[in-house]
Amino acid sequence: MIGGAVFGVVIPYVAIAVFIVGVIYKIIGWANSAVPLKIPTTCGQQYTLPFLRRNIYDRFDCPQTMWETVGRMFFEIFFFRSLFRNTRFYYAPQMKYKDARWLWLFGIAFHYSLLLVLIDHLRFFMNPVPWFSSKLTDGLSLTGVFVPTLYLPGLLIVVALALLWARRLFFGKERTISLPSDHFVLILLLAITISGNLMRYFYKVDLEGVKELILCLSTFNVARAVSIADTIGPVLYIHLTLVSILLAYFPFSKLMHSAGVFFSPTRNMPNDNRVHIHINPWNPEVKGITYEQYYEMYKDQLDEIAENGYKVKPEV
Amino acid sequence: MEEQPEVVKIEQKFPSWRDMLKPVTEKDFKHGFYHYPILKRDAEYLKDYIPFGTRDWDPLDKDWKLPEDWKERFLNAFKDKLEKYRPFKLYMDICVRCGACADKCHYYLGTGDPKNMPVARAELLRSIYRRYFTKSGRIFKEWAGARELTEDVVKELYYYLYQCSLCRRCSAFCPYGIDTAEIVWRGREILNSIGVTHRFTPISIAACARTGNHLGLLPGGMAGALQSAAEDIAEITGVEIEVPINKKGAEVLFVAPSGDYFATPHWFGFMGYIMFFHEIGLDYTWSTYAGEGGNFGTFQSYELAKLLNQKIYHEAERLGVKWIIGGECGHMWRDKHQFMATMNYPLPSTLEDPVNPITGTYFENAAESKMVHIAEFVADVIKHKKVKLDKSRNDHWKVTFHDSCNPARAMGLFEEPRYVIQSCCNYFYEMPEHTIREKTYCCGSGGGNLTEEVMDLRMRGGMPRALALKEVVKKHGVNFMCTICAQDKAAFPILMEYWKLPVEIGAMMELVGNALIMKDEEQERTLDLRGNPLKRGEE
Repeated sequence: MIGGAVFGVVIPYVAIAVFIVGVIYKIIGWANSAVPLKIPTTCGQQYTLPFLRRNIYDRFDCPQTMWETVGRMFFEIFFFRSLFRNTRFYYAPQMKYKDARWLWLFGIAFHYSLLLVLIDHLRFFMNPVPWFSSKLTDGLSLTGVFVPTLYLPGLLIVVALALLWARRLFFGKERTISLPSDHFVLILLLAITISGNLMRYFYKVDLEGVKELILCLSTFNVARAVSIADTIGPVLYIHLTLVSILLAYFPFSKLMHSAGVFFSPTRNMPNDNRVHIHINPWNPEVKGITYEQYYEMYKDQLDEIAENGYKVKPEV
Repeated sequence: MEEQPEVVKIEQKFPSWRDMLKPVTEKDFKHGFYHYPILKRDAEYLKDYIPFGTRDWDPLDKDWKLPEDWKERFLNAFKDKLEKYRPFKLYMDICVRCGACADKCHYYLGTGDPKNMPVARAELLRSIYRRYFTKSGRIFKEWAGARELTEDVVKELYYYLYQCSLCRRCSAFCPYGIDTAEIVWRGREILNSIGVTHRFTPISIAACARTGNHLGLLPGGMAGALQSAAEDIAEITGVEIEVPINKKGAEVLFVAPSGDYFATPHWFGFMGYIMFFHEIGLDYTWSTYAGEGGNFGTFQSYELAKLLNQKIYHEAERLGVKWIIGGECGHMWRDKHQFMATMNYPLPSTLEDPVNPITGTYFENAAESKMVHIAEFVADVIKHKKVKLDKSRNDHWKVTFHDSCNPARAMGLFEEPRYVIQSCCNYFYEMPEHTIREKTYCCGSGGGNLTEEVMDLRMRGGMPRALALKEVVKKHGVNFMCTICAQDKAAFPILMEYWKLPVEIGAMMELVGNALIMKDEEQERTLDLRGNPLKRGEE
């Protein structure tokens, strides 16, 4: 009785509360800091003289207008544009740079799998199940070969996470810069995805019960949630508790990059500095030497320039 | 220059994360990598911006004689920066340590020092941020990647924050656009608040605040430099040019970096400016009060940057010019493009739309800040065929172009200089694709590192560029690298000597000056601006 209530009701509620409050707090914290300067990183030709044409890459890598900036953010968020530029430097044998897009590939594989898995999970949260969720799930499942059907993104996400972790374990540079928290997040995500897959294929749980529990939780029907919670097997609670830990940890961790990327001034500002002047809200007054003071300091020399008619002539 | 080793060894180390949190202190500071401390006279002059600079200290001392309440001051400054700069706060939070930036830094490639990875450089400050400004860091300490702020940490910050040239190459590759330059800039500001500053940039900042240029040239000296340049031009071309200076009512104010006034190879570009403006008959003027386009303040703090760049608009207003052209300089254009107008808003109302009086082109992309890059201006004039150019006068050069970090990654100035260069010479070759345009490498001496004591760092940092150049030297016999940055021009000749590359460094405007056929030129030119004999059409 107690176990079901704690793992099925209390922990998820607390975790979600921490997640929502924490993320909002963090975002407000960022939003409260001023953006004093417009500092886009330009990765393409600027908008310039009419005869110097810009191609499509230039327009999105060096945006001039709002729409180009939106485009840049779109490619950044959905296709990891900057990471796609990645190169690797080889010291031996020829000191060469090569395109190295493995990190991009693993990153894309992980994030899109995660998105698809989350969409698949909508079937637990919504009644009736949204059409796109079931359509996507059917489309991405491998049917007929194995019984039960294999949901590919669910497996791909484990592979991608394992590869991402392997980078951190086996590559020198990546091992050096990885903090315990980096490993922790990867292990946690691996545990979540593996437990989810186990539930899907081996330790089946009562899906109807799970759905009812989640629907009760989301409608704050606590009494009913507690009573259902007891009827569901323990594997679900391993999965659910791990997810709760992830959610509660989210706002305090590097996982906030998912919200932070929208705020990054080097990406979300257009390169139109000289057309639209950015205003710094706390622009300080700085007292420098005025021309009058300067004139006092170097009177003789400045007067001499004036005597020569403000020009210098070559003495040949 | 000191003796050069035959082989430069790059020792890569991969310490554990715990070792990465241990500060590198004065015991491990390597000669050729650490900066000398600020001079007392500069500290005295800049005491409003850099307090406590006048004490006696040296980076190799055990005791840095920090002010008594340094820790409190440091953390207060940190908090202040977090509140004032969203990028700084954001970049403290969102890095995932994916490692995409690691091998993008020329200093990391050249030194192999793990703390020179951009991510590790930022982690130096992030570890303090986590300890004092986040909950997880306060609770989990080291396990959350947090560390105590100690004097040793300050020493480490000083050592590594001044091993960055603010080139932003890492920022181009970062999936979140984390800008190490922004972090390092804030870090240096925080260090300034407890009087820990290096020697090089404050010398120039103090000089520029006083005299109007980084080199401390007095008005007479600047006029003298212009006169010498006019004399050199007369000697080579036979054309005697009157150069306007401090002239009220001119249409355009021209601002160049002060290196151009007397350093070599800047000098030939300096002659190029004068010849070009004379040839097209532009009504312009040089200025002694705002004689400096560069802005070393941008390597130190917002206030110091403003201290220097406000002069340009003040002078533009005093002289009554309509708009401004800026010369060839790298960080100057980061300042002029991204900072100057914001810092000095609202701008003087005397300025008018930047319309090229020769061609009638309206420089739409400089509509508000009224400052146009010389490459944009020259490209426009050449496109409208308002000048005659003889490409064959540059036939003795096989040219390549080095994109300077800031015009490339802070401005997007790629095609304009290439258009100008290709209009002025017959042989132009690009360096390998991974080392040009937005992926360009720094010369290794930018961001306040153009100083003798860090020569080893500079030469190692220049390695990726030198390697890229070596490739085109082998393949096409390139013997001239054109750059549009004053620091590049100062740094590269030494780098070429160190990496044994037979390449001359020069300005874009030097090539223009060579190719330019002037109206009142009576005789055919036999020498280029350097005094080398011309070899037309010879292979």
